[in-house]
Amino acid sequence: MTDFAAIRDEFPILKQEIHGHPLVYLDSAATSQKPQCVIDAEADFYRTINAGVHRGAHELAARATEAFEDARAKVARLVGANATEGEEEVVVTAGATAGLNLLATAFGNASLGRGGEAAKRFALKPGDEIVVSKAEHHSVLLPFQELAYRTGATFKWIDLTEDGRVRTDNLDEVITERTKVVAVTHVGNTTGAITDIAPIVRRAHEVGALFILDACQSVPHIKVDFHAMGVDFAAWSAHKMYGPTGVGFLYGRRELLEALPPANFGGSMVELAWMDQPAQYMEPPARFEAGTQPVAQVVAAGVAADWMMNIGLENIEAHEKTIAAELLKLGDIDGVRILGPRENVDRIGTVAFDVAGVHPHDVGQYIDAQGIAIRVGHHCAQPVHRHFGLYASNRASSGVYNTVEEAQALVEAVKGVRPFFGAA
Amino acid sequence: MSDFGMSGDDLEQMYQEVILEAARDPHGREHFAPDLAKEGSGDTVIRASHEYCTPGESHQFNPTCGDEATVHAEVSDKEPHTIERLVWDGHGCSISQASLSVMVDLCAGKTVDEAMELFRDFHQLMESRGAGLGDEDKEERLGDAVVFQGVSKYPMRIKCALLGWEGMRDSVAKALAAK
Repeated sequence: MTDFAAIRDEFPILKQEIHGHPLVYLDSAATSQKPQCVIDAEADFYRTINAGVHRGAHELAARATEAFEDARAKVARLVGANATEGEEEVVVTAGATAGLNLLATAFGNASLGRGGEAAKRFALKPGDEIVVSKAEHHSVLLPFQELAYRTGATFKWIDLTEDGRVRTDNLDEVITERTKVVAVTHVGNTTGAITDIAPIVRRAHEVGALFILDACQSVPHIKVDFHAMGVDFAAWSAHKMYGPTGVGFLYGRRELLEALPPANFGGSMVELAWMDQPAQYMEPPARFEAGTQPVAQVVAAGVAADWMMNIGLENIEAHEKTIAAELLKLGDIDGVRILGPRENVDRIGTVAFDVAGVHPHDVGQYIDAQGIAIRVGHHCAQPVHRHFGLYASNRASSGVYNTVEEAQALVEAVKGVRPFFGAA
Repeated sequence: MSDFGMSGDDLEQMYQEVILEAARDPHGREHFAPDLAKEGSGDTVIRASHEYCTPGESHQFNPTCGDEATVHAEVSDKEPHTIERLVWDGHGCSISQASLSVMVDLCAGKTVDEAMELFRDFHQLMESRGAGLGDEDKEERLGDAVVFQGVSKYPMRIKCALLGWEGMRDSVAKALAAK
């Protein structure tokens, strides 16, 4: 039996009061809190082995490089990716947004003929199609929408069911022989719904399209295995999986990473550079890691990945399921509507809701006065809010440290919202 | 309601009855602008309802929460330029809605110079971090708008209170520029 009280105890930030109330942090979908071991890992790196990686011949540089690559391997293990030297499938990025932009930029470069023959599989031209879903975070929507504008490709999307799940009943209509890229979220950042990825991947591959997964909201909460899922690329961030900010990861099937042209250019990604001819770039992952990397943060992210695997993803998922069950009781309150699946099936503990007659800003202020942190606004997903006929919503989202009592405290607090604001 | 200590008092100080009431039934709201909650919102035509006026319209948007207000002002062509008509369309939190309502009550029918003076006073109030203006004349002129003093303690909410006022200033400026 996992001791979740002891796990919660590892988070120093949670031991404080806000406005005279114990802090209830229900905003992990925005960013998770960090356990002491992650905080220590970052500080320890600076205290003991800070140096540039993949360069320099001194001992600290060697140790820093080892720590960096060791962290990459831990993160790769978390998501079922290959970490063997020379076969790495995880690229360090500045965050999920940076990883998705890296991909879109690299596809754009391939569309301009860069990267030679091997990169042609990423090239887009007018008549080709890019498909996303309506549940996407702006970080998926915008890089690929802009890529479509740049290349003349057609931008399409998969619609949602009434309760906000990505539809899989009309994939043959949306994903066609002309589709080259499909990018879909694994878990909706507003709805909390886990997408049924398998049929979308199958259909994408059937027509020869690449499948990109936004794994930001899945990796911290459920067991993912990119090989088993068959995805071609995936992006996620460290700071939502109990790691530091400023770091993210891009997974690519090795064969694809080897063919993908670089998107960012500079130091540490080039074998030979010349004044009068094109450079020869390094093999992945270095080809995509131009410039000095956030080494301390990557090392700490590796510690976070290990920490999660030690608890066990199945245990994390089961625990958060109990939180989700409580949060879903929000839907029983008069005038409160849940934006996403109501049943506690194929969903995580991210529950967005609308309070009739009370704007989310006001809900958030009222809730905050009781020391409870939730997100209010459009959560960087405006189209999904339009799907529900709204501009903005309130979102409670669980982490491994939350308790059932905390979820109950939120439900009790939300009960007071409409009476306080006199909502009819 | 205020059974959660100091923060409860702060909450009541922010959400004074005047604000909650104005937010429930705001003055000056008419439906004429496109709806951002719907895909494919179209263009609108700006028309003046008074022949002797020039209209100006300003769309204000707070991307963090989606609050938006389109303020429509009609300014008389003759001097002193007067705001003959002041309406708005939009949606948002109770602070933004109440502030729009109070702004309309204060500025409609005023000369442009008077409205701009109110704008400056209200801006100063919102920058006071809860301290207020410390000037009885100004506070008297601002009337109901002084209830927003409590909001000025919350940096995240000041923009909500200013949304409509920024819209008023901008729409009036556009009307004057179009003359």
